[in-house]
Amino acid sequence: MAAMGRIVAFCCNYVTSVPAEALQEAGLVPEGMEIRRLPCTGKLEIDQIIGAFADGAEAVFVAGCKIDKCHNASGSHRAAKRVKYAKKILEELSISPDLLEMIFVERGEAGPVVEMAQVMQERLEARDASKETAT
Amino acid sequence: MIIAERKPMPEILGMLQGARKVLILGCRGCVAICSAGGDKEVGVISAALRLGFKKAGQEVEIHEETFVRQCDPEYLEPLKDKGKEYDAVLSTACGVGVNFIADRCPGVKVFPALDTSFYGANLSSGEWKEMCAGCGACVLHLTGGLCPVARCAKSLSNGPCGGSVGGRCEIDPDVQCVWHMIYEKLQEQDRVAQMEEIMPVRDWRSAGHGGPRRRVREDLLP
Repeated sequence: MAAMGRIVAFCCNYVTSVPAEALQEAGLVPEGMEIRRLPCTGKLEIDQIIGAFADGAEAVFVAGCKIDKCHNASGSHRAAKRVKYAKKILEELSISPDLLEMIFVERGEAGPVVEMAQVMQERLEARDASKETAT
Repeated sequence: MIIAERKPMPEILGMLQGARKVLILGCRGCVAICSAGGDKEVGVISAALRLGFKKAGQEVEIHEETFVRQCDPEYLEPLKDKGKEYDAVLSTACGVGVNFIADRCPGVKVFPALDTSFYGANLSSGEWKEMCAGCGACVLHLTGGLCPVARCAKSLSNGPCGGSVGGRCEIDPDVQCVWHMIYEKLQEQDRVAQMEEIMPVRDWRSAGHGGPRRRVREDLLP
């Protein structure tokens, strides 16, 4: 799958057991998508999310445990609140908050991560298409 | 503590227009406790600035540092020279810190990252409420410990206005009428008769209406 823009996925260690390379080799996620594994998404800070954009990511998503099944009790709940605040910062900077999402995934399930990578890819394509139309 | 809130990013980016080297200077005092200007918030503002500048196609060198406080001269000492190396020092302290840097560090261009809001208490994680107006003439001994200056929308001294309904303020039903609370508190303490005492007209000079305030304690002066 060709990459339209760089996508960074912050993934809870308990959510994704499949490496990004394997998903890429299978053509399931865009080339250049980066999975940053975390011991818990509750460890993810707002500056890391915004920093990922500042360092070149065009879309970011966070994959944490299901809210009621978080390995660390409330990690994914905390991450969701931080994602919400980070979306506010993106809006302030006139960057679409839709380029940042949080998903809640069953343990060891790679499917939702693949789906969200594709959703983000589509959003980037739509964004670029609307830019072209505007020019 | 002093409660503050980050300014919107476009306002911060606007004040830093033209700067090529910026120091974001945090404060570990009140603003760190109220999650507006401590180490973490410096990191967030730094990342947001990097993104904002990048989007605008500007190359800006951003440095981060956090002082124990920005309202004591000893902590500002290193900034006197170091601050001059930057086109802008973006302080995440309250207005006191920004003023103190401007006073004490000639040649350093300081800018505020926060709007300083009020003196308040932490109700729960992420929620703060005004409790004191710093008026300089405390009457809490007469009001059951509840401040009518800070917590009454009209800062009334002698009972509620006619606008409260069911113990709620007319400005907002989410705001409790502090005079209603004072009545209940004094009643609970069997001191309600105290409300009959008329508070004299306030002298607002101590509240800053007589110019900037200053306190001196002779025994502590150098």
